[in-house]
Amino acid sequence: MTTIQINGKDVEVDPKQPLIHALHTNGCDVPMYCYHPGLSPVGSCRICQVEVQQGEGPSRVVVSCRTPVADGMRVFPDSEKAHDVRRECLEFLLKNHPLDCPICDKAGECDLQDYSFAEGQGEGRSVEPRRKLEKRKSLGDVIVLDEERCILCSRCVRFMEEVPKTPQLTVADLGARSVIATFMDRPLTGKYQGNLADVCPVGALTLSAFRFQARVWNLTKTTGTCGECSRGCSVTTEVLRGGELKRFRPRYNADVNTWWMCDVGRFAIEEHSLEGRLVGALVRGSRELEPADPFDAIDRAADVFTAPGHPVVIASPWLTVEEGERLRDLAEALGSEVHFLSPPANDLADDLLHTGDPCPNRRGLEGLGFSPIDAEAALELLSGATSALICGERIGALLGEGLGELPEKLRLVVLDTMPLDVPAVRAELGVPSSIERTGTWINVDGHAGKLGIARSAPPGVAPLVQTLDDLVARLSTTATAGGER
Amino acid sequence: MVIVKRKELSFWERLYLPEVVRGLSVTMRAIFRRKITRQYPEEPLATNEVTRGQPRLAVNEDDTIRCVSCGLCEIACPAYAITIDGQETDRFIEREPERFDIDMLRCILCGFCEEACPKDAIFMSEELELADFSREALVYDIEKLKRPISALQRRSDYVYKLNDRWHSSSSTS
Ligand code: SF4
Ligand code: SF4
Ligand code: SF4
Ligand code: FES
Repeated sequence: MTTIQINGKDVEVDPKQPLIHALHTNGCDVPMYCYHPGLSPVGSCRICQVEVQQGEGPSRVVVSCRTPVADGMRVFPDSEKAHDVRRECLEFLLKNHPLDCPICDKAGECDLQDYSFAEGQGEGRSVEPRRKLEKRKSLGDVIVLDEERCILCSRCVRFMEEVPKTPQLTVADLGARSVIATFMDRPLTGKYQGNLADVCPVGALTLSAFRFQARVWNLTKTTGTCGECSRGCSVTTEVLRGGELKRFRPRYNADVNTWWMCDVGRFAIEEHSLEGRLVGALVRGSRELEPADPFDAIDRAADVFTAPGHPVVIASPWLTVEEGERLRDLAEALGSEVHFLSPPANDLADDLLHTGDPCPNRRGLEGLGFSPIDAEAALELLSGATSALICGERIGALLGEGLGELPEKLRLVVLDTMPLDVPAVRAELGVPSSIERTGTWINVDGHAGKLGIARSAPPGVAPLVQTLDDLVARLSTTATAGGER
Repeated sequence: MVIVKRKELSFWERLYLPEVVRGLSVTMRAIFRRKITRQYPEEPLATNEVTRGQPRLAVNEDDTIRCVSCGLCEIACPAYAITIDGQETDRFIEREPERFDIDMLRCILCGFCEEACPKDAIFMSEELELADFSREALVYDIEKLKRPISALQRRSDYVYKLNDRWHSSSSTS
């Protein structure tokens, strides 16, 4: 540990980190554009300058992102001199910046906007015209570049070089004509392009999928966990007006994903669409599935399970540990084994984040005694049974077409996000998707990822834990009443 | 409970007729005075540039909407009356509203939206009347809100003047 003095106060700081890190961890909000804690520092934007005095010599102004800490250093991040040089840097950065915050998707979470608002001057002094450059240049399917907004911090260039290790971006041309470009305007490739929109401190790189979708201050942000692979990256789930899911963004987690997430998880938006969701409950009438009161559906399910024989229980790999526990208890009471559907590994694995295993809670469910089984084996098991419970988000979709061919003698109870209309179904109840419930997933390395409620589930959809509890309660009353209602 | 004591009437008052005549004399005097009753709605209210009627969206001469769906009026609105969704356009200014709803029942005609707008796209018009048969019909969508800028010109000039005054008095530093 090194001791430095910030604004006259002694603090202990990590000697391996640059001065800016020490300032940030000690409550000084020194601005930064080119520095990103996950990338190598270059010190090109000069906005992080602070006044530093060492020993008895005169004080100097240094860029805090490229300055190592040293014992006895006295730092004055808020001195007049520091403010002055930062304000001047800001004026140069804004010299060519277009004033298009009203249409910029970054507005509201833009570092340049925030700092200009805090420190900048209301009016520019420059009389020369601003640079005119391309404003909507597509860099592939994921990213749109606005050359005018770019402040040439080179974070994007370094990100591509250092994180996915696929250098594709560069600063092309010289001096005042510099722009960010790919070689021969080729589209960007790779699974980590989405992060470019997060590392870009301004609105130069934006997601084409999120383009003009929402103003960021209208998004409700909830912490959550990505469910598209067994890495379980920590994310922020952003929902517009309590309904539509607009985006996932990575959330810093030193143990799991640091600052990044892959595009597979980032763009898993459709998976949480509210369209076509199973709302409330359905039970089979004389022929068709009809809407029913959830309590009637639970009664119906209990009737199915009190018939002789052990029902087959198959869970979705998106089940949380808490839900898994309830389901295991229910299965134990019914004398059944518990399985979870484990689709084969996909070819998306890489050595950065994506594991290629689509089950976000494999460790958790295996720990609870669930045995993995693939869709084929699951369907075989189901076709040989007389009653069954399939349970959890997307389970119907994972089992696929084969469900339609199950014999009608099988009496199937479904707890799923989407309605499932196959002849075997006797009762089904809606469940919340993974952005609508709390719980825990255990990732591939054993880290727990928490789910958060980013929006309430559609009306009539109870948490799965509660549905399972109701089912258990209903079964136990059936047992004590000797099968009578 | 309050007990209101009746006023004791004097003999003169109890005679009744003199009081009727006194009352009529008030009426007769008023008949010949200048009339101040306005025959609304046949006779519309006089408006001027200070009138803050319902907010309306300005449309340029070339039929393009000025609003870029930045959402600043939406966030400035204290009554949460405005809801906006944006979309991309081919125009030079890349963004325009896909949906722009103002719930006129919520709107309190405060003019904050006009003040917040960085694009001079929303103005307090001279339209003051608001009536319909359902609540839904009073949530005005973008088509109902669009007005040619010529219809809002007087207010627009006034707002420019106000802003200029504000600029010259506040940019002292
Ligand atoms: S595009 Fe963004 S991240 Fe890249 S250099 Fe420009 S401002 Fe920096
Ligand atoms: S006038 Fe006031 S209340 Fe009405 S829409 Fe504008 S900001 Fe909202
Ligand atoms: S503030 Fe102006 S430009 Fe922005 S959304 Fe409202 S009307 Fe449109
Ligand atoms: S953040 Fe330090 S120079 Fe850019």
